[in-house]
Amino acid sequence: MWRMSWSTFRERWTLFAGALLTVVFGVGLVQASVMVSLGAENPRIPAGTSPREAESLREAYDGAGSLLGMTAMLACFLAVFIVGSTFAFTVAQRRADLALLRTLGGSRPQVMTLLFGEAVLLGLLGSAGGILFGIPLMWAQAYLLTSTGILPGSFAPEWDSAVLIGSVSAGVGMALTGSIAATVRAARVRPLEALREIGGAARVMTLGRWIWGVSMLALAAVMVSGEGQVDFLGAMLIAMGVSFAGAIGLSSLSPLVVPLAGHLLRPFTRFGPLAELAQANLRDGKRRAAATAAPMIVLTALVVGLMAMLGTQAKAGGMDVKRKIVGEYVVTSNGADAEKIASVPGVQTASTAVTADIVLTVTRFEDGRRLHTKVRSGILAIDPAAYQATHTLKPVSGSFDRLQGKAVIAGPGSAEEGIRTGTTAIAEVGGRKEKLKVVARMPATLENNADAFFVPNWLLTQDMIAKSEAETTVKVAPGTNPADVANRLRDLRIGKVQTVSAWADARVGRQMEQNDSVMMVLMGLSAVYAVVAIINAMVIAGTERRREFAVARLTGLSRRQVVQAALMEASGVTLIGVGLGLLVAFAALGGFLFGPSGTEILAIPWTLIVLLVLGAFGISTLTSVLTTRSATRAAPVTLAAARE
Amino acid sequence: MTYPAPHAAAPHGMPPFPQGAQPLVPPAVELQSVVRRYGAGDTAVTALDGVSIAFPPGTWTAVMGPSGSGKSTLLHCAAGLDRADEGRVVVAGRDITRAPEHILTELRRRSLGFVFQNFNLVGALTAEQNVALPMRLAGVRVDRRQVRAALADVGLGDRGRHRPRELSGGQQQRVAIARAIVTRPAVLFADEPTGALDSRSARTVLGLMRRVVDAPVPQDGGPSQCVVMVTHDPVAAAAADAVVFLRDGRLVDRLIGASARDVADRLATLED
Repeated sequence: MWRMSWSTFRERWTLFAGALLTVVFGVGLVQASVMVSLGAENPRIPAGTSPREAESLREAYDGAGSLLGMTAMLACFLAVFIVGSTFAFTVAQRRADLALLRTLGGSRPQVMTLLFGEAVLLGLLGSAGGILFGIPLMWAQAYLLTSTGILPGSFAPEWDSAVLIGSVSAGVGMALTGSIAATVRAARVRPLEALREIGGAARVMTLGRWIWGVSMLALAAVMVSGEGQVDFLGAMLIAMGVSFAGAIGLSSLSPLVVPLAGHLLRPFTRFGPLAELAQANLRDGKRRAAATAAPMIVLTALVVGLMAMLGTQAKAGGMDVKRKIVGEYVVTSNGADAEKIASVPGVQTASTAVTADIVLTVTRFEDGRRLHTKVRSGILAIDPAAYQATHTLKPVSGSFDRLQGKAVIAGPGSAEEGIRTGTTAIAEVGGRKEKLKVVARMPATLENNADAFFVPNWLLTQDMIAKSEAETTVKVAPGTNPADVANRLRDLRIGKVQTVSAWADARVGRQMEQNDSVMMVLMGLSAVYAVVAIINAMVIAGTERRREFAVARLTGLSRRQVVQAALMEASGVTLIGVGLGLLVAFAALGGFLFGPSGTEILAIPWTLIVLLVLGAFGISTLTSVLTTRSATRAAPVTLAAARE
Repeated sequence: MTYPAPHAAAPHGMPPFPQGAQPLVPPAVELQSVVRRYGAGDTAVTALDGVSIAFPPGTWTAVMGPSGSGKSTLLHCAAGLDRADEGRVVVAGRDITRAPEHILTELRRRSLGFVFQNFNLVGALTAEQNVALPMRLAGVRVDRRQVRAALADVGLGDRGRHRPRELSGGQQQRVAIARAIVTRPAVLFADEPTGALDSRSARTVLGLMRRVVDAPVPQDGGPSQCVVMVTHDPVAAAAADAVVFLRDGRLVDRLIGASARDVADRLATLED
């Protein structure tokens, strides 16, 4: 059986090429991510770094670690997905061969051994390639992380030979896991199929596809129907749920849905016989059309759905920030200069929040256990009275008025951390330690990275405040022209003067950038895989169609016309795939429309959609033309007579 | 259809397997009142309608009939590839009518050989590997000499290392026959074995099948081999010992030692 696996692999390597590439890429990514994570595990913090900088360095390393973890997991998941579709395709194509094995006395376990043997070979070859590919990839990843500013330039990944065992296990694991479904299907091939093309061979919609597809679509439908009745958080969850469930459901049902959607392309058949042929082929070649459209559906639905969701969250966060501020301007300066703002004519209230460079040890409650955590960032020193005058957010427990003496308030950024009112926190301010009481707790807001703690500004020394970064919210006195006040503030030349709206947008923009760089890495990776899956499906289908193309040419089509018809078909499939994906994405965003803010907060990533559509058509056009040209290279008569 | 029957002196006259005239040795394959229906309700089709027939060892029977007469279904049921709805199927002394999958697999390994119209060789394997495949699947140690001898028997001793695509259609079919007989199965089922061949290659293939049937009883005392062949070709059918005719799922006639012309005439009347 092993020898046969090897022979099949060698004979049909073109079918496995895409899957092999995927495993190479997957193993390479896993290995590189492990190496870079190892390097990031013990961050080198240069001596003399301030506690706050050291904390942000640690956070950066932590963030990089989890980003790499997600990358590796996503790579594994997608590799399994592509290996799975490749094996499903080869099994469908080799039904007669497998039936023949059964006729010659092969048992079901033997057929399974054959396919698992092929999967192990694929895994081993892929691991070998992946181990080599992982080395340059490791440096590329490290470069990406440092150049995008996620990690400091001093970072270097670490090599550990033990990772090789992990790489091989990952490669073989991906290949074996991916091949399970197809192998089980192969074992069910009946010997009779060797003699006649019968039933099973034509069946594309398997029971598994039905179950997955229908249940996922039903789930998506239930979520969509609930869109009118939920709050913002609910809408976020629905957007994520519908994107995933819709994408999985539609891609599972793609052999049914794609040809059905092909009916919508009927008007195009008026453009002549080639268009007619293309449309008929699209509807007839269910497996082929579905295999190409499925990755497009998944990619479009997830990328557009999730990006729009995150964009909307940021936009809503910005709106939230603006809504909760009573004031016109925000001035960014240092603490010393901020003190000049209150005396500017026309300023009614100036509320300064200084970034406090202190370490706070807080008590948290998690699952009934008491935990102590050190917090170094997101701590603001404020003047409680002024802050209340310019900010409307009210605590859920305790009150701002109690921020007197040695006290601290848990801000919206630590609302989910399990901090209770009445507990104590130890603050390290400069060299001394202060015991503070948590006097109030703020509710969570929509903003990511919201302020974590508020301490009264008298806790810091004048010197500390003077040097720290400060943001002052300015409320203009009634009857004064805000623009005049803004000009007077600018005349002070102490820092940046922005309207509340511009300041909030910039603040959200910074968060978006962080979101974007993480999402770009993950989505970019998914896109690479989707492209491999699409090319893979088209190449396999193209090779499979040599005979069909030859017959078409013998019927009177020129080679150019065959290429054109195939291209039209591929474009039709792309249109359907991307269209269905967008349908899912837009269905996912419905919850925000029905919400209190309506379209105001909806951030649809139009540029991304345009790029995605162009990319999908570009790739399918290129692949279709190249594969059809290569499949029609030989003289038609030699192919039409040939049998598999 | 001008090529002569390959074996002019075939041992015709062997009991043509009618019911009630059972030969002394038990039949290699026997169908008893077999019924096979496809579909349900108004679209139901009865492919086999109470067929009873026995194929004794050392005989070669051709099964003929118009399209849709049930000849392929008969072959599939007899070989355990399809299940009878009613009746019994006995192969090599074993009732396989309701046999589970692993018993059927075992049966295919030990007692059955298949030759198909489109050869069905494994494209990735060489001729030798193709011939050795049934033994390897059965977990039997592959005797290279035995494999080479089987290929030499079909006149392809020098083509063992060629892959199917490097062989002509006739040569591929000969490899398929070598593969089917290398384990000396009790029954060789052939589905249109000459259907895709030119007349010269067809003659060679028919000659090989005749040799299978006429081979002396093996020393280990096993039965001689039986061939059941479905064909459209009167010339191929005339090379067999007996020809049975099916129409609408029923056995309607049998000819023994008939010429190609007789077979063709009989078939023509059935198709009318």
